Amino acid sequence: MAEDVKPTRKNLMAIEDRIELSERGHDTLEQKRDGLIMEFMDILDQAQDIREDLDANYETAQRKINMARAMEGDVAVRGAAAALKEHPEITTQSKNIMGVVVPQIESSRVRKSLDQRGYGLLGSSARIDEAADAYEELLESIILAAEVETAMKKMLTEIETTKRRVNALEFKLLPDLHENKEYIEQKLEEQEREEIFRLKKIKAKKEEEESEAAATEAESELEVVEVGD
Amino acid sequence: MSQEIAVIGSPDFTTGFRLAGVRKFENVPEDEKDDALDEAVMRTLEDDDVGIVVMHDDDMAHLSRSAREAVEGSIEPVLVTLGGGAGSGGLREQIKRAIGIDLMEED
Repeated sequence: MAEDVKPTRKNLMAIEDRIELSERGHDTLEQKRDGLIMEFMDILDQAQDIREDLDANYETAQRKINMARAMEGDVAVRGAAAALKEHPEITTQSKNIMGVVVPQIESSRVRKSLDQRGYGLLGSSARIDEAADAYEELLESIILAAEVETAMKKMLTEIETTKRRVNALEFKLLPDLHENKEYIEQKLEEQEREEIFRLKKIKAKKEEEESEAAATEAESELEVVEVGD
Repeated sequence: MSQEIAVIGSPDFTTGFRLAGVRKFENVPEDEKDDALDEAVMRTLEDDDVGIVVMHDDDMAHLSRSAREAVEGSIEPVLVTLGGGAGSGGLREQIKRAIGIDLMEED
């Protein structure tokens, strides 16, 4: 990786900029991850309470319908179930938690009064009414659980993505950038040392040439003096 | 947009919900679950009018791997499983993967 970059001062500056940006991004993402986890913990507590209620409601509902089946017969219960005219509906709105869009589910027509159920008052018994009541309550807690569990799923996906980004920056991108920076710095230093060495060499050569020239000049001057004599 | 709740499971499981007015349901008899449950789940997932899918936790074992992953990961509609305690429906596994600790461990 480090060998891919050209050791120039321009590249070094570009890499330093990228390191600064990545470090800033890393800090921000880390804060986002921690914030998301804290929000998630709040929802988790809520979800566990809702789950407990849901399980309790499910047990009650099951007990009541079993009772209705035992007393009235399976056919009567199924008949009543098939006669229902009002249907529960849900509408979804969204809420934003730290950039994660979570749903807010609102329900209508879950709870129904006896005359809204449509199976008639005379044709059914109190046991069937009780079972229907219990199942209506169960539906309400299912809707609550659905809301909270969707929020949890979405937040978990976001936490996972943020975590992967933080790790990619921390363990891949930043080390690579630092490695590149070090490589370029070393190369530049080496070039500088070579340059100094070259200059020294040239200087030494020049001095040698100069001293040689001076010596020959002195020699020729001496000869001239000797000839003059 | 208003949506509805759908129930998938054995006739015994769905009857109670129909008593509470749930209109969308898939009855899969106990002995056909291995073959027919996958199809019922995929059909429900593709239905745009469904906002919440209710299933029994035991039925999840009858699903094929792909259908199971599809329904557990689905957000619209969202799956709510009954009878499996907290963290059912793949949530517990997802928490372990994302946070790194099993937060739903029973005390």
